[in-house]
Amino acid sequence: MTSRTLWLCSAILVIGCLWASGALAEGEVRFSSAPDSVLMDTFYNGATLKVSGVVPAGSDVALRLVGAPQTLHLREKGKVLGLLWMNVGAVEFENVPNAYLVATSKPFSDLGRVGQSLRIEGLRAGITQNTGASSTNLDALQELLSLKVHDGLYAESPLPVKLEADQGTERSFSASIGVPSGLTPGDYRLEALALRDGETIGSVSTPVRAQLVGLPAWLNHMAFDNGLTYGVLATVIAILSGLAIGMVFQSKGAH
Amino acid sequence: MDLSLYLYLPIAGNSVNILAILGLGGAVGLLSGIFGVGGGFLMTPLLMMFGIPPTVAAASDSNQIVGASTSGTFAHFRMGNVDIKMGLLLLIGGILGGTVGVQIIKVLRQLGNADFLISITYVLMLGFVGGYMFLESLQSMRAAGKPKAETKPKKESTYARMLASLPLQMDFPRSGVRMSLFMPLVLGVMVGVLAAIMGVGGGFIMVPVMVYLLRMPMHVVVGTSLFQILFTCINVTIMQAAQNHTVDFILALLLLIGSSVGAQVGAKVGKKLGGEQLKIMLASLVLVVMVKMLYDLLARPDILLAYMGGH
Repeated sequence: MTSRTLWLCSAILVIGCLWASGALAEGEVRFSSAPDSVLMDTFYNGATLKVSGVVPAGSDVALRLVGAPQTLHLREKGKVLGLLWMNVGAVEFENVPNAYLVATSKPFSDLGRVGQSLRIEGLRAGITQNTGASSTNLDALQELLSLKVHDGLYAESPLPVKLEADQGTERSFSASIGVPSGLTPGDYRLEALALRDGETIGSVSTPVRAQLVGLPAWLNHMAFDNGLTYGVLATVIAILSGLAIGMVFQSKGAH
Repeated sequence: MDLSLYLYLPIAGNSVNILAILGLGGAVGLLSGIFGVGGGFLMTPLLMMFGIPPTVAAASDSNQIVGASTSGTFAHFRMGNVDIKMGLLLLIGGILGGTVGVQIIKVLRQLGNADFLISITYVLMLGFVGGYMFLESLQSMRAAGKPKAETKPKKESTYARMLASLPLQMDFPRSGVRMSLFMPLVLGVMVGVLAAIMGVGGGFIMVPVMVYLLRMPMHVVVGTSLFQILFTCINVTIMQAAQNHTVDFILALLLLIGSSVGAQVGAKVGKKLGGEQLKIMLASLVLVVMVKMLYDLLARPDILLAYMGGH
């Protein structure tokens, strides 16, 4: 073992011991996630983030993965001539989190006031709707939330956070957060909150990056930076595959 | 790590089950091998159910149709079912018509309510074409049972006289017809305009046009239609890839492996069926698509907002 590796090992050990023994200051939350980023490779089909950490004794835990805010232009569907459902207009929203996955250690209703604000419904307060819907009785914001839930990008799952019994001034927690396969590459924030008496008493967050790697990264780069070459290549490969399969069948037919 | 049956689609931004997409490709390829249609009408909505954005679904579908129609054209060509001369003339007309159609749609969109007009036109056309084909082939199937009884000689002769009076007559030996050069060109333009406006490949309109207006035999129609679809889809794929970056090659590859195999099987199945049987089955398919479209228009969507299609 080289001296460098030795040094690294002892550093990790020291940090580990400090974590295990260190008493938490009031309201302090610590956690780690494995893996700490989402790598989208050829066989990527969503990921599971294993999160574990500690919160002050007696508190509940909420974990959430929040995407960057974005502006969304959506089509509004409405009835034309009182009969046919069609696109009737466009609606614009600002400050819409790209993704919002929340998990808690208790049902939301048992978490008091803060429980309600953590739910997907709680996002309403932060989102602004710029253009009004053409239909007056359409709750466009509600439809937006439903659309995101339908895509799997907004999800609330009460109870997947496992809490251990209090140990002194702290208690540890662990959870598995399922990341949907439809997540767009980009920067996300994983946040752990300690909740007590309907209030947030402490929180800490860490960045989580979702990025394309390997073949998907290369194809994405080709498609966006060399669109024409990509299109021609895709066409040529399709023609060759079609011919190849045609020939396989021809030789089969000849026998 | 377990052996994954899922593949991540980098442009669609979602992962899909490999077997499901192969199967979907196979089923749609079968239809296209039998009937000479691209199958986009079926593929795009099904892909959307797998969580693929509509623009990516449509563009990747045209990429896979390139593979499937190559395979299908190949199979039909060996059976002598492709009229290349007729196909090229229709294709030239189709490209001209497509360019005109794209301009028309721009004007329509500026006028507003274009989507409404398009949907209604589409449903009515499918209903008319499907209904006519169905009744016509039903009649001729019944007539085939009895001794020769020509039902509508008057109408046909007027149309035939009109055909014969046009200049630049030429022979189309594969299809066994003789007509003016302008017929396939002009009809190609009309189908191209309609296809561009409705955003579909045009197989559903082209096949009946070839059967009833160009009077080509059904088996040659299927092969020639596939030949023409091949070129249309090459054009669409390259344009979509270059301008909108919506072609997902992984998705297209999975689909085309399934559909090229399906198209081969379809061509063989089609060979075993009679022309009238083929017609009546295609007519039923067209009517089913029409009913489905009508249902989509009449039923309340689950969510009243949707992502922007197009650009």
